[in-house]
Amino acid sequence: MFEHIDPQSPTPLYEQIAARIRVAVAAGDLGAGIALPSVRQLAQRLRVNPATVVQAYRALEADGFVDMRHGAGTFIKAVAGERRSQERQDQARQLVRELLASAARMGVSPDDLRHALKDELGAAA
Amino acid sequence: MTYAIETNDLVWSAGRRANAFRLDEVNLRVPQGAMYGFLGPNGAGKTTTIRALVGLLRPKSGRIRVLDHEIPRDIAQALSRVGYVPERPHLYPSLTVAEAIRFHAAFHVRWDQRWADDLTTQFGLDRHRRITALSKGEIGKLMMLLAMAQRPEVLILDEPTDGLDPVVRRDVMMALIEYVAEHDATVFISSHLVHELERICNWVGVMDRGRLVAELPMDAFKSGIKRLRVRQAPPTPGDTPFVVLAREASDGLSASEVWVVRGWQAPMSQWFEGVGASLHEVVDLDLEEGYVELLRTFRRPAA
Repeated sequence: MFEHIDPQSPTPLYEQIAARIRVAVAAGDLGAGIALPSVRQLAQRLRVNPATVVQAYRALEADGFVDMRHGAGTFIKAVAGERRSQERQDQARQLVRELLASAARMGVSPDDLRHALKDELGAAA
Repeated sequence: MTYAIETNDLVWSAGRRANAFRLDEVNLRVPQGAMYGFLGPNGAGKTTTIRALVGLLRPKSGRIRVLDHEIPRDIAQALSRVGYVPERPHLYPSLTVAEAIRFHAAFHVRWDQRWADDLTTQFGLDRHRRITALSKGEIGKLMMLLAMAQRPEVLILDEPTDGLDPVVRRDVMMALIEYVAEHDATVFISSHLVHELERICNWVGVMDRGRLVAELPMDAFKSGIKRLRVRQAPPTPGDTPFVVLAREASDGLSASEVWVVRGWQAPMSQWFEGVGASLHEVVDLDLEEGYVELLRTFRRPAA
């Protein structure tokens, strides 16, 4: 789940970690009540500052995705289906933004993109 | 106390000659609990600064405080709470690993022998082997062990992984992360391995030619420096809302210019329209690129 954490990316590491967990929750891979790795375990596994993991968990707590129970650990909260689909839509929008940015860089026009997207979606269906 | 390490206008000089190397009014602010990456090219003054912090060099003027202890006046109290790994290891070559550990332990009241034992095993160090027979990697691990087992509140590490292979480096970093997670320690670490610092540090300080040229949180450092591709740029841009670090003609294949800027924020793209230019691309830089660009500007002769 945390394979592609990229320290060189401009997205702060804590955001990357939190995003991975949000994606897993939205996809239904992490269900309510599941315990996340301890701060120390995850920091060691990713070789990041423990404070970065704490920051990620706090961000998730603020979003209502997890519950940090003092001394016991951090647990996935029950997330309503509506919220999960909202999260998936946010992720889709993010993917499209990245695509548009790359397209602009390469001088690919919106029409070219629309055609390509339609073709590829058709092929995938 | 907000800062674990703080210097005010720290000045030190290698001699009286006008061209002697000097630290020039260095003002470090290392927040409590930070992992602070101390960057700079060879000869920038990183090791000199570190040696002043641990009382090995007497500043010419200015003030140094480590954990609220005045350095060098209260160096003994400070050193009982600070773990230091010097650039060059200082171990008695004829001692064995176990003897070196015991020797070191004798100086530290808060010595954690259990952790020292655990780390000896974890690092795969042979207790009975003499220091002279250790590999460079084993020496590096032993130095880290000695610094951490004294249970310091601040770890000052001068190139602790320099010359170590990736496997050893990983072992050392994992142990450091474990230590920080358990003890909320502050870490001040210098290294040439910028990518390693990018992963673990949340603060960055950059030295060049005896001066501290930048000091800020890692995320701010990384998000603030960008490379821009600009077309129809005005020859003299006048007042910019960002700092232009460098400006050069592009590769010659296209009509655009490349600007390297500091203090960038997305809404500033509007500024280009205002001066009749167009902004074509905003490229994010990683820590290494940002750091190199930053140094490039500080090295350019003043215009």
